[in-house]
Amino acid sequence: MLVEQVGMQGQAVLRQRFAGAGTECRVGRDLGCDIVVDDEHAAPQHALLTLLEDGRVNVRDLGTRNGTRVDGKLVPADAGAIIEQGEIIVGTTRLRVRTRHVPIGTERVFRREFVRRHRTLLATAGVLACAGFGAFVQWLDAPSSMLRSVTKGGLVACGLIALWSGLWALTTKLNQGTWRVRLHVTIASIGAALCAWGYWVVGLVSFTAQWPELVHIGIAAIGVAVLAALYLHLREATHYRRRMTFALAGAATLVIGAVAWIIAIGVDDGDVNRVNLGPEVRLGAARFVPNRDISDYLAGVDELRLAAARERQKSLLNAPLADADD
Amino acid sequence: MKVARFVAALWLCGSATVIAAPQDEPPAPAAEVPPVEPPPEEQAPDGEQASDEAAADAAALDAEIASQELSGDAQVRLDAARDAVVQIRGFFHKSETSAFHGSGFAVDDGRRIVTNYHVVAQAVLHPRQYRLEYLASDGRTGPLHILAIDVRNDLAVVAAEDLELPPLRLRSEIPAQGERAWSIGFPLNLGLTITEGVANGLVEDSIVQRIHYTGAINGGMSGGPALDTRGRVYGVNVSVVSGRQLVGFIVPARHIPPLLARVREPMDLSLSAQQLRQRVTAQVLAYEAEVLETQPDPAATQSVQGYALPTQISPHVECSTVDESSPHVLVGVDTVSCWIPALIRVQQGVHVAGLSMRHRVLQSEGLHPLQFERQVNRLAAAPRRTGSAAHVSPFACRDALVSLDGFDARISTCVRQYRLFAGLYDFDVTVVSIDDEHQALVSRLALQGVSFDTGKKTMERYLGALQWRP
Repeated sequence: MLVEQVGMQGQAVLRQRFAGAGTECRVGRDLGCDIVVDDEHAAPQHALLTLLEDGRVNVRDLGTRNGTRVDGKLVPADAGAIIEQGEIIVGTTRLRVRTRHVPIGTERVFRREFVRRHRTLLATAGVLACAGFGAFVQWLDAPSSMLRSVTKGGLVACGLIALWSGLWALTTKLNQGTWRVRLHVTIASIGAALCAWGYWVVGLVSFTAQWPELVHIGIAAIGVAVLAALYLHLREATHYRRRMTFALAGAATLVIGAVAWIIAIGVDDGDVNRVNLGPEVRLGAARFVPNRDISDYLAGVDELRLAAARERQKSLLNAPLADADD
Repeated sequence: MKVARFVAALWLCGSATVIAAPQDEPPAPAAEVPPVEPPPEEQAPDGEQASDEAAADAAALDAEIASQELSGDAQVRLDAARDAVVQIRGFFHKSETSAFHGSGFAVDDGRRIVTNYHVVAQAVLHPRQYRLEYLASDGRTGPLHILAIDVRNDLAVVAAEDLELPPLRLRSEIPAQGERAWSIGFPLNLGLTITEGVANGLVEDSIVQRIHYTGAINGGMSGGPALDTRGRVYGVNVSVVSGRQLVGFIVPARHIPPLLARVREPMDLSLSAQQLRQRVTAQVLAYEAEVLETQPDPAATQSVQGYALPTQISPHVECSTVDESSPHVLVGVDTVSCWIPALIRVQQGVHVAGLSMRHRVLQSEGLHPLQFERQVNRLAAAPRRTGSAAHVSPFACRDALVSLDGFDARISTCVRQYRLFAGLYDFDVTVVSIDDEHQALVSRLALQGVSFDTGKKTMERYLGALQWRP
C-alpha cells in the first residue's frame, strides 16, 4: 500500500509505503499518527487505513465531525470502505492510496527530450523567426528610415517574447525551483513564429487559391498552436497532470479566442460603412489564378439584390423603423 | 466649385428654437425712407417657360400689375405679402413645442400653400410621429395636410381645411442677373422677416434648377416666397451655403404650377404615408433615369499611363484631375476624379442619386513588389464611406478576379439598401488591377441612392469602359 499526500497542483508532497497484512496507518493531527496532517479540519485521530490480507485497504473513519471521504463519498461510520485505490479526503487534505492490485503500465516516452536537449538552438531559431517577422512587417511598409523601423520591429518582437517567457520562467521558479528560461523561450518563440508566419502564408495561399475560407482554417490552426504552446508552458511550469494541464490550456485558449472574437465582432457588427473587399490583392498572383469572365461576374452581382435585401431585413429586425407601415 | 457649394449647402429647416418674437408688430420703419426707385425694366421671358399657358398667364399678369408697382421699400413689400405667408411647424407626437419649422405661402386660389419638401419631409416619411401645423399672420393655427411633393425641386403643396389666404402671384421667368429681390420667412423662429438682396440668375450647369440669390437666408426661411420688384413670387427659398457670405439658392417658381396642376379639385387630403413615400422613391428614380442613365456616345475616357479610364459615363458627370498626395515617397499617383453630386434630399441627412468615380494609377518607383502590393492594398481599402445606421443597412459584397479589357483585376462589389426606401441602393465597386508588379490601377465607383437596375447598368458601363492599351 502506497499512501501519498497530494499538494495544491496534484503532485505528491509526501509518499509512504506500508507492507504486510494487518499493517495499520493512522491519519490525523496527533503526532502519534503514521501520517500527520497539518489541517485544522482534521481530527487528532481522523482515519484508519488497514492493509487487508488480499492486498486491499480498509478505510475507517474514527468518529470525526467532518467525516472521511473516499473518492468523494462519505465513509460510513460503522462499516468503513474497502478499496484497491482511491483518493481519501481527511479534513481538506487529500491522500492518494494505491495497492498492488492496481496494474502498472510501461513507462511513457519522454517526448520533450529533443526540445530539452536542443533548447539553446531552438530558442535561438525561434527568437530569430519572431524578430524576423517583426522586421518583415516593418519592411513591407517600405519606411523612409529602413534601418530604424526594421530594428524596431525586431526588437518589439524580442521584447514581447522576453516578457512572456519571463513570466513563465518566474512561475516555474516558484513551483519547481528552477527557471527553465531557454525552454520557455523556445516554446513561446516557436509558437509565435508559427502563428505569425503561418497566418501570412495562409493569406497568400488563400488568395492564390481564391478560397477565402482557407483563412478560417488558418485561424483554427493558430488556435491549435496557441493551445499546444500553453500546454507545454504549463507542463514545464507546474505540477499538474496531463489531463488537468490540457483542460487549463484549453480553457485559456477558449478565453483568448472568445476575447479576440468579441473584439472582431464588436468592430464589425452592424457597421453600415464596412466593406468586405475579400482577400488582399496579391499583385503578380494573376498567373496562378484562373480569372472569371466579366459577364459571369456581373451575373453574380444580381445575387447581391437578394443579399442586400436580407441585410435590410436583418437591420429592420434589429432596429425597426418608426411607423414604417401604415 | 458649384458642386462643393451645393454639397455644403445648409438646409433651411430650422430646429426647434423657441425664441419668442413679436410676430404681429410691423417692422420699425427706417429712419430715412429711401427714395422710391423706378422699377427696373421688365425682362423678356427667357424662353425656358414651363408651358404656353403659364406664359400667357404671366403676360396677362404683367399687364395687370404694370400699374401697381410696389415701391422699393421692403416694408411695403412685406405688408403686401404678410397675410399670404404662414409659418409651418412640425410637432413630435403630442408635443406642444415645435420640432422643426419653415415657411410657406398661399398661391392659386389661396387655399393651397407652397413650401419646401424638406420642410415637411419628416411628416411625409413618419406621419405617425410628426404632425404639421400652420401659424397664420392673424395668429390662427391649424393642422396641415400634404397634397403633393416634388422631391427633385424640393417643393411641396400643403393645405388646411378651413384656411384661405390672399394668394401671391407667381412669376415663371427667371429674374435677370442683378435684379433686386426680397426673401420672406421666419428665420430661426424670430418672427416674420424680410431680407433684401440681388438675384444672380440660374446656377450654371446644375442638374437641378436653382436661382442664385445674394442675400441673407437663414434656417426657418425655407419654403418662404422670394419676391421680385413687383411683389410677384419668382421662387422659393431653399438653401444657403454654410460658412459663406450670403450665398443662397431659390427654387424657380416655374416648377410650382405643374405641381399645383396635380392637386386640382377636389382636394385629396387623405394621401397615405405609404403613397407619399412611394412617390418620393418614384420621383428619385425618374430623376436618376434622366441623370444617370443617359449615355453620351461614345463614353468619354481619359488615358492615364496606358489605362483608358471612363470619365463621362453620363453627360452630367464632372471630372477633375486631382493632385493627390502619394501614399508613399516611392509611389507615384495619377488621380482622376469624377462625380455627379447627390442633390436630391429625401430625408434629413440623406441625399441620393449621386455618383462618384475615382481612378488612381499607381507607379512603383523602386519598391519591392511585396512592398508595392502593400501600398496598393492600403489605398484600395482606404476610402471612408459615410452613411448612418438609421438610414441604410449594412453592405453585402461579392468579390472575384475578373478579366477586363486588357488587364486582370480583382473586383469587389458591395451593395446596401436604404431602410426606409426599399427601392434605393448604394453601390460601391472597387477595381484593383493585379497583373503588374510595378503599376496598378485602383479605381472605385460609388453610387448613392439609385435603383438596383440603374446601379447595375452604370456599373456595367463603367467596367466595360476600363481598358489597358499600352
